[in-house]
Amino acid sequence: MTTTRATADDLTLVELLRAGDQTAFMMLVDELGPSMRRVARMYVSTDAVADEVVQEAWLGVLRGLPGFEGRSSLRTWIFRILVNTAKTRGQRESRSVPFASLAGDDLDAPAIDPAAFDDGGAWSTLPFDWRGMPEERAQATETLHVIGGAIAMLPPMQAEVIRMRDILGWSSEEVRNALGISKTNQRVLLHRARARVRTAVEEHFRSVAEAGAGG
Amino acid sequence: MSVDASITCREVVELLNDYLEGELPEPDRVRVEEHLAGCDGCTTILGEFRETIRLTGMLTVEHVSDAQRETLLEAFRDWTSAT
Repeated sequence: MTTTRATADDLTLVELLRAGDQTAFMMLVDELGPSMRRVARMYVSTDAVADEVVQEAWLGVLRGLPGFEGRSSLRTWIFRILVNTAKTRGQRESRSVPFASLAGDDLDAPAIDPAAFDDGGAWSTLPFDWRGMPEERAQATETLHVIGGAIAMLPPMQAEVIRMRDILGWSSEEVRNALGISKTNQRVLLHRARARVRTAVEEHFRSVAEAGAGG
Repeated sequence: MSVDASITCREVVELLNDYLEGELPEPDRVRVEEHLAGCDGCTTILGEFRETIRLTGMLTVEHVSDAQRETLLEAFRDWTSAT
């Protein structure tokens, strides 16, 4: 497995944490906390237990911080502690979660409705082009609401991959290391998640366009 | 419309995310780019993927609960005073 090493920013942050900088610590908690809670929740049975796992993981992070050597990125290292803590807790709960139930059973589904193509696999009619519509035809906030809703409906691992990659802006390498998934799985999960979100946006703008044409 | 017959639109749309991620092997990347150069439909979908990614990036992360923040801040203070 290839690993992204800690960046200069990571090492600066680690120095601040070691020096007891509370603001730096809380910024990290705010950035990683929501993802940590959801990832923990994949492995344990309740939100309350997930909160305990997150807290236990942060204590593990603090204990390990003096020995952090920067062989992986700080986020990756923190998530590895989190995932280990969550898995251990899940095992204690005798809860086994098959990867397929986290990843979703629709990974082979086509990105575009097959009805859009002719027998030869070419477009039978050109796809609906909604680009440029957010500014002209609808409130941008409404579009973002549609996207947030579509992500919330995704299987947990697909949702987390697209959140880390596209909302938090992490590299694909950091995403797969943080979640402990293979390069192939990360690619497939991201493809599927983005395809589902794109379809949701298309459906949204199609209904906006139809409402506009009808009125 | 002149399109590289070796790869269909239906196949190209399944490769667009890997293309955007820079994770397509070189021969596939070339075939996808040649196809895109002659195909308005697939170029639209590629643009829509880009736009989807841009819009998703405008979402913000949720908040950590005040109770959880308070507990963690306390743990951090304890850790600081112990080291």
